[in-house]
Amino acid sequence: MSPVEALLRPLKIKHLTIRNRVMSTSHAPSYGSDGKPKERYQLYHAEKAKGGIGLTMFGGSSSVALDSPAAPWNQISVADDSVVPFFQEFADRVHAHGAALMIQLTHMGRRTKWDTENWLPTMSASPKREPASRTIPKEMEDTDIRRIVADYAAAARRCKEGGLDGFELSAAHGHLIDQFWSPSVNKRTDKYGGSLENRMRFGIEVFEACREAVGDDYVIGIRMSGDELIDDGLTHEDCVTIARTYAERGLIDFANILGGQARDHLAHAIILPNMSFPVAPFLYLPSAIKREVDIPVFHAQRVTDLNTAGRAVAEGHVDMVAMTRAHIADPHLVRKLMEGRMDDIRQCVGAGYCIDRIYAGGDALCIQNAATGRERTMPHVIPKAAERKRVVVVGGGPGGLEAARVCAERGHSVVLFERNAATGGQISIAAKATWREALTGITRWLTQQATKLGADLRLGVEATPAMIEAEKPDVVILATGGHPSHGDVKGAELAATTWDMLTGAVEPADNILLYDGTGQHHASSCAEFLAKRGALVEIATADRMIAEEVGATNQPIHLRELYKLGVVMSPNLQLTEIYREGNKLVAVLRNEFTHEEEERLVDQVVVEFGTLPNEGLFLDLKERSANRGEMDLRALVEGRPQPHRGNGHAALYRIGDGVAGRNIHAAIYDAARLCKDL
Amino acid sequence: MIATTLSLIVIATLASGLALALIQARRWRAGRPAAVDVMAGLRALPRRYLVDVHAVVARDRFNSRFHALTAGGFLASLPLIVLLGVPALRHWTVWGLLSLALAAMLAGGLMVGWRRRVKQPAELSGGRFSRLPFALLAYATAFLVVALDQAAGGVLPSWLALALVLVGAWGCAELVLGVWKGPLKHAVHGALHLVAHPRPSRFHDGAGRDSALKPLDLEAQHLGAERPVDFAWNRLLGFDACVQCGRCETACPAYAAGLPLNPKKLIQDLVTGLESGATDLSYAGHGHPGRPIGTAHGGPAEPVIGGLIHPDTLWACTTCRACVQECPMMIEHVDAVIDLRRFQTLELGATPGKAAGVLDELRATDNPGGRPLSRRVDWAVDLDLPVLAEVRECDVLLWLGDGAFELRTQRSLRALVQLLRRAGVDFAVLGAEELDCGDVARRLGDEATFQDLARRNVTTLRRYRFNHIVTADPHALHTLRNEYKPFGLDAPVIHHTAFLLDLLRDGRLEAVSQAAGGVTYHDPCYLGRYNGEIDAPRALLDAIGVTRVEMERSGMRSSCCGGGGGAPLTDVAGERRIPDVRMDHARATGAAIVAVACPNCALMLEGVVGPRPIVAEIAELVLAATESVR
Repeated sequence: MSPVEALLRPLKIKHLTIRNRVMSTSHAPSYGSDGKPKERYQLYHAEKAKGGIGLTMFGGSSSVALDSPAAPWNQISVADDSVVPFFQEFADRVHAHGAALMIQLTHMGRRTKWDTENWLPTMSASPKREPASRTIPKEMEDTDIRRIVADYAAAARRCKEGGLDGFELSAAHGHLIDQFWSPSVNKRTDKYGGSLENRMRFGIEVFEACREAVGDDYVIGIRMSGDELIDDGLTHEDCVTIARTYAERGLIDFANILGGQARDHLAHAIILPNMSFPVAPFLYLPSAIKREVDIPVFHAQRVTDLNTAGRAVAEGHVDMVAMTRAHIADPHLVRKLMEGRMDDIRQCVGAGYCIDRIYAGGDALCIQNAATGRERTMPHVIPKAAERKRVVVVGGGPGGLEAARVCAERGHSVVLFERNAATGGQISIAAKATWREALTGITRWLTQQATKLGADLRLGVEATPAMIEAEKPDVVILATGGHPSHGDVKGAELAATTWDMLTGAVEPADNILLYDGTGQHHASSCAEFLAKRGALVEIATADRMIAEEVGATNQPIHLRELYKLGVVMSPNLQLTEIYREGNKLVAVLRNEFTHEEEERLVDQVVVEFGTLPNEGLFLDLKERSANRGEMDLRALVEGRPQPHRGNGHAALYRIGDGVAGRNIHAAIYDAARLCKDL
Repeated sequence: MIATTLSLIVIATLASGLALALIQARRWRAGRPAAVDVMAGLRALPRRYLVDVHAVVARDRFNSRFHALTAGGFLASLPLIVLLGVPALRHWTVWGLLSLALAAMLAGGLMVGWRRRVKQPAELSGGRFSRLPFALLAYATAFLVVALDQAAGGVLPSWLALALVLVGAWGCAELVLGVWKGPLKHAVHGALHLVAHPRPSRFHDGAGRDSALKPLDLEAQHLGAERPVDFAWNRLLGFDACVQCGRCETACPAYAAGLPLNPKKLIQDLVTGLESGATDLSYAGHGHPGRPIGTAHGGPAEPVIGGLIHPDTLWACTTCRACVQECPMMIEHVDAVIDLRRFQTLELGATPGKAAGVLDELRATDNPGGRPLSRRVDWAVDLDLPVLAEVRECDVLLWLGDGAFELRTQRSLRALVQLLRRAGVDFAVLGAEELDCGDVARRLGDEATFQDLARRNVTTLRRYRFNHIVTADPHALHTLRNEYKPFGLDAPVIHHTAFLLDLLRDGRLEAVSQAAGGVTYHDPCYLGRYNGEIDAPRALLDAIGVTRVEMERSGMRSSCCGGGGGAPLTDVAGERRIPDVRMDHARATGAAIVAVACPNCALMLEGVVGPRPIVAEIAELVLAATESVR
């Protein structure tokens, strides 16, 4: 028996039998609306249920009390009864597909904002400022403790009334319960502070109250760290003691273990490991705790493939594997395992796009799966079209490949031209930069799927209008991508671009000024690449910090690497001019705030200004097309087919960076949204 | 003078032939006793020959014609020539009748000659058989000329007539004395085999099919067949009837994949073993692939496996019955294999490869994978299957089989359960009470484990009330339907394809969408050849509107996937894998999908690497077809 088959064994927790060992942990995709999990949120999880998942947990950090606002990240409030009907509707939706549904409840303590929702001060064991939320909490009085314990219990009751299969209390990521546990936060001298026994007391009172509210026949779990991995935090031994104590007292029915904490920037990147980390980096922590407790142990943290997940269960490290981001990339992961189609799983590459968007105030979207979080309008399983069309796609980057894949799924006959010898487009360039290599998984999967579905990929062929017309297409989709912009600074022609460096078209010189005009991964990762090749690199940007547009789980890794490599980081400087001096270049940089100019004498200036569209082919074809290359945007947004019909000419559309330089998700969404209705 | 000579020659030859046959009979009479109704067999003989044997022979029209001409002509000529010994009957009309018979025989003889000397099909053995056309032609031509001459009043010079008589006499002797070790041995033994066949109900005068293995008396001193004499005498008689036509060789999937098994050679090895000190040096056909000819040696009281037959040959058999299906002499090759395996497993514990471990698991845990029985329904937690122990009675008992422990089979079982639900069928499963049906144990020769499982399964089944058993596993179907009878089970057992067909015909399921691309249906051996069910799966596929194409080998003559008889466990190596060969057949149809109706077939065919059609279980196709377009 293959280890993956261990994932398909049911798990029984009390009266509840979960159909397999694969779950999704509670997280906050920012789909909540007015503090409620409404249609979008429900459909997002119902899709996973449809896709065969055993247990899906929603509502990361759902709040139990008025002074733990649900407003940040559009979370869910379980602080009053109005949420119960939504729970019931949610549970029915998920149960209809055979999965179990649970929620996470918490009081965030000091780890939230006071300047939102009810404008109440934040609470904690002691008045110590929290670095991530930057709030200084109030030290809880006995009345606060009593009130909040009762709030937890009331929220627990609402879960049961709402037909959920259970809930977990968050005692991870520095929420209120683990604020009491942690000696770095809890400086109390009463019965809630001091010894570990005392620090555990608040949590025990919370669990006891919850247990009393829902009874013994309801599943209650805990989310906690197995080691905070900081000097003044909870040690692994502390965490084992806590888990064992809570389990032995019958307070918890499962322990959902993770590694690390989320107090500072780098901690965020570690607790939500991106593609620079190995797979399942913290599996040893739940494995160790499982040896100490007699309740099921769950674990999430970069388990992105079923083989790793299968081994984690088969070898007895955990009872249940959470593949949360893996489900964001492909909610039908378990179904594909059951159907013997593991090759068809769109595997999470660990780009962290989903989670980074949340920290930037957006909603969770997958870098490669445009349907996730858009289940109402975007299908995860592409239906066949009524009529078979001939589709020509130009460009084998993520947009073109997704267009080819979706059109092939629709049953159309697809030809794709790619001028390079291999598919991948700009992802192939981005992936050359050190730890960003895993990005290639995106286009590798798309290429495999398009090929498998019968799309005719013609590589190494630069499409011409004549070649396209020879295919007698009904639809032509141009995903021709872009070329790097040199910006409009004076002397821009003297600069090389990040593309030149990453592709090897230009050899790095000894002394390089790299100017970042986008704040994205491109310049930072290129700086790492150059520094690793032995260059002295200074990276300058007009932003307040390097890689400012990169989210919370990726930017710290960039910064850590740049510091380690000795790259000089110079924010707040605008590149205004480049000129030659002898065999060197001078870059003129102007301070954004003082407007004072500085100069750098370097061997090479490298710039990152994003891309400009490759539109030559589009302009050649525009007048010959049925629609003059125009997309009906209203039809696109409303999910209707484009209205253009042949009359002997093909309809012409362009997508992705071929329209305007954006990102991978935009290119894929452009393609999927257009092609699903073709 | 000529007539008397002819008559005497024939009478003398026939007498010698009879004597030889009687001596020869001592070889097979050395076998174990068998209960045979000889009188009934004798009464049934002519029609068994004309109906059952003919049905097999006539699959090749050319062969059936030359056989009718040569055998008919020869058999007619013999009494006519004897009659001509009576002077009063030497009328030209009798000579004329004889001429007609011999002319027919001559025509047949020419066809035999063309086949053996010109066309030379690879599966035919040579040796004594190469001389057969000459003997036929010598006898028919020489005596025909003589007969015509006599009818015309005798114009040939006497030296010539005498010379012709001598040539014809050689032909006659060659043919008739061939009952010893020559081609005509099959005529005598074949006829006797039809009379005393160990499975009389396989003929049209019986049930028409008899494929169930017979229970072994486990109290017997000696379990299974170790030596040739351990076979029942009528089985030895059957082996001796082999005419080495090679139809079994052509049909055998193991042979096709280059595994060391040629059913023709297997039977000939057993024939070799009927004589002390014999070797296979004189065998003039294809051997067991990869094994030399000339090294096999044995005797009636010497062990078969080892000197005569290599264990790999014995364990390469998938028990698919293709050889039995093709044999014009009605030989039961699979019974022979199982008898030999029973001794190897029960007396020697010599089951090879992973098979021994699987038998251990079966004995210890009642399933081949050694898994807790409660996990048989692990895959169905969200389907909430009714369990018979709780509901006590139901219309349909769904027998899951051991495929329920396998990921691949779980997929088709899920489809089947969803279909039953959709059609509103009142069904239940045994859940943890279901034990392995014993098929694999029995085919591997472990009759003791089979009987133990059978008895306990029957005891469980008899505790509950249900109208019929439905299963998606043809091995379970065959075992429960045919092999549990001696253990007291008498319930209708229906394959899911037949059941689903009824649901569609009754309108309880409705096909609404069509699968794209052609579908070719692969018949499971245990459903097709073992149980004759080749129509329902096809009708079911037609009912869901797929475009169906047939493989070159299909229906009752389908070719095995390699998954039966414990062959995946004994895992005897060949030049190729059996499923790879079968997938070639499927590829040749150009179909996009191979539809299977057996968990073993699904596993074997899906294990084929490289570009190939999709393997889909019929229930999966039916489920897709009855689901509205998304």
